Amino acid sequence: MAERSGHYMDSFPEVSLSPAERLQFMNRFSVKRSDKCISCGMCESLCPYGVHKRVEGHTKILPPDDRKCMGPSCDVNYFFCVANCPTGSLSVGPSDNYQSMGDPRWPAEMILSTWRQAESGRPIALDDPANIGRSGGGFDKLYFRLPESQGRFDPADFDTSVRLNRRGKGEQIEIPVPFYGGGMSFGSISVHTMLARAKAAEMLGTFVSTGEGGYPDALIPFKDHIVTQIATGLFGVREATIQRSRILEFKYAQGAKPGLGGHLLHDKNTPEVARMREAVPYTSLFSPFPFHSVYSVEDHKKHLDWALAINPKALISVKVSTPNDVEMVSVGSYYAGAHIVHLDGGYGGTGAAPEIAKKNIAMPIEYAIPKVHRFLMNEGIRDEVTLVASGGLRTAMDAAKSIALGADCVVIGTADLVALGCVRCGNCESGRGCPRGIATTDPELQQMTHSDWGAQRIVNMYSSWKLQWCELLHRLGMKGISELRGRTDLLRHADKQAKEVGK
Amino acid sequence: MNPQVETIISSRSWMKQSSAAKGARMTEAEGGCGVVGLASSVPLAGKHILKPLEQMHNRGNGKGGGIAAVGLSAEQLGVSEEVLRTHYLVQVAYLKPDARRSLESEFIDPCYEVSKMYEVETSTDKKVLGTLEVKPPAVWRYFCRVKGPVLDQFMKDNKLEDMDRQKAEDEFVYQNSFRTNHRWYASSGMAAFVMSHGRNMLVLKIVGYAEDVIRYYKLDEFKAHVWIGHQRYPTKGRVWHPGGAHPFIGLDEALVHNGDFANYHSVSEYLAQRNIAPLFLTDTEVAVLLFDVLNRTYSYPLEYIIEALAPTTERDFSLLPEEKKRVYKAVQRTHIHGSPDGPWLFIIGRNSYYENRLQLMGITDTSMLRPQVFALVDGDVQIGLIASEKQAIDSALESISLEVPSVPRYADKYWNARGGSYTDGGAFIFSLHQQKETPGSLRLICTNKFGTMVTVPNNSWDKAEDLKLTKRLPRVPRAGDLGEQFAARKDPVAEFKLFKQKLHEMTGSELNSLFAQMVKSASAGDASMSEYLRILTLMIDRRYPTGKFRRSRIVDKANEAIETILRALPKIEADDRSLYALVDRKNISKMRPPQSPYSILVLDCADFPMEGEDGASFVIRAAKDLGWNRVIIFGCHGQRFFGCGLGPKSKGFRLDVYGSPGDYLASGLDGADIRVHANGQDQLGQILNDGKLVVQGDVGQTFMYGAKGGEAYVLGNAAGRPLINAVGRPKVVINGTCLDYLAESFMAGNPLYGGGFVVLNGISFDGDGKLVELPEPYPGGNLFSLASGGAIYVRDPRKLVGEDQLNGGRLAKLTPEDWNLILPYLKENERLFDIPVDDFLLRVDGSRRNPEEVYRKIEPVPMVTLAGKKQVQETGDS
Repeated sequence: MAERSGHYMDSFPEVSLSPAERLQFMNRFSVKRSDKCISCGMCESLCPYGVHKRVEGHTKILPPDDRKCMGPSCDVNYFFCVANCPTGSLSVGPSDNYQSMGDPRWPAEMILSTWRQAESGRPIALDDPANIGRSGGGFDKLYFRLPESQGRFDPADFDTSVRLNRRGKGEQIEIPVPFYGGGMSFGSISVHTMLARAKAAEMLGTFVSTGEGGYPDALIPFKDHIVTQIATGLFGVREATIQRSRILEFKYAQGAKPGLGGHLLHDKNTPEVARMREAVPYTSLFSPFPFHSVYSVEDHKKHLDWALAINPKALISVKVSTPNDVEMVSVGSYYAGAHIVHLDGGYGGTGAAPEIAKKNIAMPIEYAIPKVHRFLMNEGIRDEVTLVASGGLRTAMDAAKSIALGADCVVIGTADLVALGCVRCGNCESGRGCPRGIATTDPELQQMTHSDWGAQRIVNMYSSWKLQWCELLHRLGMKGISELRGRTDLLRHADKQAKEVGK
Repeated sequence: MNPQVETIISSRSWMKQSSAAKGARMTEAEGGCGVVGLASSVPLAGKHILKPLEQMHNRGNGKGGGIAAVGLSAEQLGVSEEVLRTHYLVQVAYLKPDARRSLESEFIDPCYEVSKMYEVETSTDKKVLGTLEVKPPAVWRYFCRVKGPVLDQFMKDNKLEDMDRQKAEDEFVYQNSFRTNHRWYASSGMAAFVMSHGRNMLVLKIVGYAEDVIRYYKLDEFKAHVWIGHQRYPTKGRVWHPGGAHPFIGLDEALVHNGDFANYHSVSEYLAQRNIAPLFLTDTEVAVLLFDVLNRTYSYPLEYIIEALAPTTERDFSLLPEEKKRVYKAVQRTHIHGSPDGPWLFIIGRNSYYENRLQLMGITDTSMLRPQVFALVDGDVQIGLIASEKQAIDSALESISLEVPSVPRYADKYWNARGGSYTDGGAFIFSLHQQKETPGSLRLICTNKFGTMVTVPNNSWDKAEDLKLTKRLPRVPRAGDLGEQFAARKDPVAEFKLFKQKLHEMTGSELNSLFAQMVKSASAGDASMSEYLRILTLMIDRRYPTGKFRRSRIVDKANEAIETILRALPKIEADDRSLYALVDRKNISKMRPPQSPYSILVLDCADFPMEGEDGASFVIRAAKDLGWNRVIIFGCHGQRFFGCGLGPKSKGFRLDVYGSPGDYLASGLDGADIRVHANGQDQLGQILNDGKLVVQGDVGQTFMYGAKGGEAYVLGNAAGRPLINAVGRPKVVINGTCLDYLAESFMAGNPLYGGGFVVLNGISFDGDGKLVELPEPYPGGNLFSLASGGAIYVRDPRKLVGEDQLNGGRLAKLTPEDWNLILPYLKENERLFDIPVDDFLLRVDGSRRNPEEVYRKIEPVPMVTLAGKKQVQETGDS
């Protein structure tokens, strides 16, 4: 499908075709032909897309190639096969597989398009329907006010890099892409999945967080691209893992389940996972919802000072959810010494996060980002802190919208898994529930994902994203992604639009 | 209860209706802080509260600081004793100085007879002014009484004629101040506000650090019996006026607060139902308003006020006497919505006018979420102290001891509180009573919530002899018998034994001379240095009958002797052949590798900052990297992070700590051996992975949170949440008890196959240094909750621990395997602390018992999982 050609391949040498052997190609529609067919060949002569085909010399027409079908909406065309079939033997409808896949937040189109991008590295159009979900809120209601296409562009002309350290103190770290990988622990995902993300982070020059299940030794070769997460359970956190990392992430809360703490249900706590966390195998592991040593902002400062006493060079990221007073939390984190304030909204979370919590607690991230951005501006410290947004950012456009709302960069989690072939079935909490062997700790299931293959898929997806960001900047007449920050004027809300039209 | 509750509440109905107050409930400023309070039977100068506040600098961020003083000096205020006693001392802060004339003509002149008024003197020192980002307001002080006709009218208008006239006057002052604040603060661009109003007490606060208050308002030599101070750490950045700083006032009381309520809105609503509206938008203001409502409106006794703030619940409630249950139930039914939820510690200083006593009290939340330490010094001068950190208490005492020699540098008793507990209520009150026999002098009595007195373990020392010991160590010691016997022997343990025997017959000057002699002999060479260091260390670590002296005095003197001998060591840059090398703040640049593997680096922590890369913890780290295997630190005063960052290859490194170490000591320890010859503070041994930690005293909150391994021995108690979320294979012996939440979510495998455990001995020392059993080994309501691994071995021969304390654990019989497992650790415990296994731990009522009769095991209930397997107990050592 994607041979090594085209300008995007030249600008992204790291991209290469990596098909998914185990992913069956999925069709949006299914075309059925009944026994009444007389193989007259009418449909073949009509369909311009090549759904129907008869091989020269064969009497019977081949089964319909429904990958190419455009679906029932074809009925407006003169060549609609169903209407033209003399025996009425054809029918077109949505495919069963396709219908059962996805959810409003990650509709099937979006999953398929993410797979395609992960396979080929080829970008999709900015206004591609696959860039918008059907959740009826959040980023799915926000659109860019896009000027007309400005013709071809050279991705090398655009700067998508982000500085992670804007304070005087600590190592100056710049990542060439405006994202890094969010924390998914060993235990919640397999070590192969972790490795795939780490290798991809290395190839892209960015970072990925360990999550709170410890720092598997397999990740040590990639230590310059690994963020050590210090979470409330302190599982697997040792001086050595703190000293090894260039960035330390204090996880106070997860946007998908604020106030609940982490939890790894017993089935996933295999002996291997338990060894890493030094806990008892097959017991459910719950992290407390707060840090028991931090109940106040001066405790928080002390806590950060502690990490700096162990690793004085590290950058500190503080990951919090989005309560109503999120701006207070952010500014408090900054004054306590954080380099990065990481807001985690409620749209994210794997299937393991309880449904009751997901999306139902705390402030939507698209409200939290501008609230914090403006508050930090008014405090006069916006340019001393890197504001990072995460929580259900699925596509390049979601990331761009977050930046336009006021974030400096984003943190991505679930999209990585989708790139690896996740079908969003939502059985992540169960040790043997992952049909793709991604969010599993089962020794056999996890063999389904190979880390090199996975790393390539993730790199491909982000390369596609980067091209979309470059195109966006090109169309907006910008040169760098930092120019986009806080440009809420470039966004429109779908409801507001409807109201204006209604008047 | 007060019969006029309804009338008083309705007299305030206008307060709630003020529109600004309505809006005010919508937003709340947030922040954290460091707090300290002290009460003394003699008036103490402000400079003594300065010291602990400076020490807790890092608990504030310079955006608000304040102090309150209660029990003042009439002379210093320039009024008569009578005026000081009877008049309201109203202080108004003028943020805009031109507001004064009109404010006075509106709220002061028409209402009050002012017997004296003046502007509070401020510093003109450029150094002091230079540190202040925001110029503090001009504060005017008015000594006043309400004009008779005005009060009559007020009582008539509000139908308060039946009320005690004095109390009606209180109410007038209270409402008048609210009116002033509402008019001049909330709705008039924040031009002025009433900083305090109350008898014989005042509050001063600024934007800045609390120590700046003392310097700016020249309180260094200003004397008071009760001081409270507060370092504010508001989360929001820009603060331009001190209205939001602590302390906040009720009427005759001032309150500082550490923490943050989760239910600010609910408490505000509770107050609104009683016609009270906050104006300053912090939960602290709400806290003091709450206290005032319970105190002046409902006229509850203190015990019920505390119950309303920190209710007794669950197991604690069930253990109360029936009569208390009945009353508390009624209190809770009415006031539970006003009870602050979440982390908080209140320190209140007040003039209990109608009882004619001054009080300092500390009230803690029911979940033990804030660090707090209480301390008591007895003797001629009695002092009660409360602070966020123990080191702050020590620094206050050090400062006081310079002026009042009879006060030692260490308190006679330190303790932590558990809010809402059935034993002491988690609240302590230091009351200063007038002495009937000698008018004018005060006696300090410490009681808990239930009114039970709290006393020091032993107060039968000889005051005169003890006082003699306060003299500085003589330079040229008089040779004494004991000193010479010490010099003759070469075994520190035997010498210490001799000292214990002789101590009860020694006089102050003899003992002083002995210390001086030890200091002198120690400098004879490396061997005598280590010998005398060992004896002096044993004097600090061990508990023994202290004869004519108080224990804290001997600890003080032994520490002084250690400091003296260590400071006399050759500096590191001196090319000396001594095994010891001294480093302090000035010569750290001269650090060099050790000359031999036995060399000992001695670090004088006196001048080091509390944290950061210039801190002492980094010097220790650098020493380890240079190859030193032994480091001794002394003179520490609350510095944090000792032993952090030593890294995983630190086995064989030994650190000895003298003085008052701060938070997070040994957090992250991975192999090294740390001995603390003092009490520990909070967050010790977090994520401790390997190595050994020995604390010759108590430890604070969240001891060994998330620990993974290593050994730890604690002589005294652990406060809240020790070993929470610990995994792997930590092996811990706690000889005292834990207040609550011991080993919550413990996940440390199976101890019999290499996993972790805690031995809880539940013992203590009495005033004579004799080992005694605590009334119960574990008083808290939560033990081993949600634990899935590990075990607790509790010494409980009287079977006092019950299933109702467990949630996820079960009591099991101690097997011989269990005993074989813990015995080596108890033997090490015996070696470290002199707590004999056979002669004490296994003895009950004088007779020797079998281990399974004395110790009980608490283990997790095994779970059957969906995977169909019984939980596999893997070894932790893999």
